[in-house]
Amino acid sequence: MQDKQFMRETVTEAAHAFRAGRLDRRSFLALCGMAGVAIPSVLAGKAEAAAGEIVMWNWGGQSEECHGSAIGVPFTAETGIPLKFDTSGPLQGKIKEMVDSGNVTADVCDADLFDAVALGATGHLEPIDYAVVSKDKTLPGYALEFGTSIILYGYAFMYDTQAYPDGAPANWADFFDLEKFPGQRSLYKWANGSLEAALMADGVAKDALYPLDLDRALAKITAIKDSTIYWGSGSEAHDMIVNGEVSMGMVWQNRGRNIEQETNGRYKMVMDGAIAMPGAYIVPKGNPGGREAVMKFIAVSQSVDAQLGLFSCLGMTPTNAEAIAMISAEDAPYAITSEANMAVIALNDPTWWGQNTDAAVNAFLEAIS
Amino acid sequence: MSRIQSLNPAWLLVAPLLALVAVMFAGPLLNILWLSFTDPEPGIANYVALVEKTSLQKLLWTTLRVCLITTVLSVALGYSIAYAMANVAEASRQRMMLFILISFWISVLVRTFSWIMLLGRNGLLNNGLIEAGLISQPIPFVRNELGVLIGMVHYMIPYAVLPILAAMQGIDGRVLQASRNLGASPAQTFWRVYLPLTKPGIIAGALLVFILSLGFYITPAIMGGGKVLMVAEYISVQILVTLKWGTAAMLAVLMLASVLGLLYVLSRFMKLSAALGGGRT
Repeated sequence: MQDKQFMRETVTEAAHAFRAGRLDRRSFLALCGMAGVAIPSVLAGKAEAAAGEIVMWNWGGQSEECHGSAIGVPFTAETGIPLKFDTSGPLQGKIKEMVDSGNVTADVCDADLFDAVALGATGHLEPIDYAVVSKDKTLPGYALEFGTSIILYGYAFMYDTQAYPDGAPANWADFFDLEKFPGQRSLYKWANGSLEAALMADGVAKDALYPLDLDRALAKITAIKDSTIYWGSGSEAHDMIVNGEVSMGMVWQNRGRNIEQETNGRYKMVMDGAIAMPGAYIVPKGNPGGREAVMKFIAVSQSVDAQLGLFSCLGMTPTNAEAIAMISAEDAPYAITSEANMAVIALNDPTWWGQNTDAAVNAFLEAIS
Repeated sequence: MSRIQSLNPAWLLVAPLLALVAVMFAGPLLNILWLSFTDPEPGIANYVALVEKTSLQKLLWTTLRVCLITTVLSVALGYSIAYAMANVAEASRQRMMLFILISFWISVLVRTFSWIMLLGRNGLLNNGLIEAGLISQPIPFVRNELGVLIGMVHYMIPYAVLPILAAMQGIDGRVLQASRNLGASPAQTFWRVYLPLTKPGIIAGALLVFILSLGFYITPAIMGGGKVLMVAEYISVQILVTLKWGTAAMLAVLMLASVLGLLYVLSRFMKLSAALGGGRT
């Protein structure tokens, strides 16, 4: 343990020297290599981060490019600090493991706001510095102690226009009505969104969903279980729809537009009752890039340009009211919190989910399996 | 005395490596065991849940059922394939082996998605059958337990074929001739001579298939359409999403203990080294 600590300090020192120009690149890398004999990649990652950069932990794919262009470019221009990525997906368990192990290699996680509630309570996160980050540039109630919502995604459903020529399904009640609208369905496998949808279908008002009545929601879900398949990733949800496996399928709302375009409008998205999910940037406790730099990063991601950049690149809806106001009329139907949609969508409660994920997910898995 | 003398000095050469494996492998394993008794609080609560929670029992029963059916089907199909391979000309055998190996090398994700494309509601097979007028509604081959079994058996067949084939190739053909010569019918020769001689291969294949099946994750998750929940996926959810590390560790310990227990029981009935390929004279 002592050795580890010593090696880490040595390399961190060297990284500072390297950055300040007191150490040439080759010697720095050699040192990293030597330290690597003890604990390879972790130390190198730590040392690199200490040399002045922010490591964003996201989900890979398009998001790497989009986060880079929308936030990374203005952030680096302003601060001189480069943005790097770890694309392995910051699930709660992975963040907890990283902080518990003491080898924190990421500065900011592209996570959910309910993760901020769950992991903040257990001491795994740095609190947000609201002197740097603005509470006014997100939706009311979405600037929490350990995380602030930067973008929104959501759960909506799409239907096959050819399957229902005599009248299209208009809301979750129709989605759960197999008699009126026969056909296969798909829902999200890890409970989020699916539970809310079931409650709305059962007549619960969209602003009276929380605390979720699990039994009531699961009764509704098991009633259509034989005609439902469940997806675990966005691409799976996408495939189930475009391959014709389902006639109505839940999707991540930001992907719906692609599916509509890809199928020339054969599949249409229904926004009535869509559940808006606050995506949040959260900071693992003891992040290597330092608190100041990472808070600055979060502040930059709240800016109008960054938010509009993420919207056009990833389809993620801005949380900054100023950015929402600048969305064109053509794009507005696809922005989950646009003025028109605000009247019909439900807003996720991160506090309920942060406190009840384990019970909700396990009860859901038991009900569908 | 003689034991010590017969100890091969090569052991000294591999000793550091063995020590390393013991530390790097046993350490984390003990950590898991520790976690299963301490998270969220010290005690045996995680294990008591096995008796109290019907959800866990259902999970284990699903896993056991799927693994057993997979093992039986894989070994039965693998036996036929191996039998054919053992009894054709060398050139054909090599061609067949190539096909087995190609299927062996294809990634599990690619296979899974291929099956969905072939057998899905809108897949090649269902569309073909509907076009031919044989069925009016698509048959649900995938996104259910049947789908999981198709995917798993397909993946596991090479693991069954290889040890069974090895056992079959080791059989002295003259034994079979002797059996026939002594008046046994072809069926009797097969059941009473050939099959018992291939038993080590069958057991090795079945063990391999069953143990690998226990840890299956991707195939059940995708081919089961979310409705066939097996232990590996459940453990992953408990670690990554619900943070119930104690439950996950308990299930991991249970899996490991079952595998070791299985090996122990089998070792009472037969020489395991024969089944696992070592110690052959």
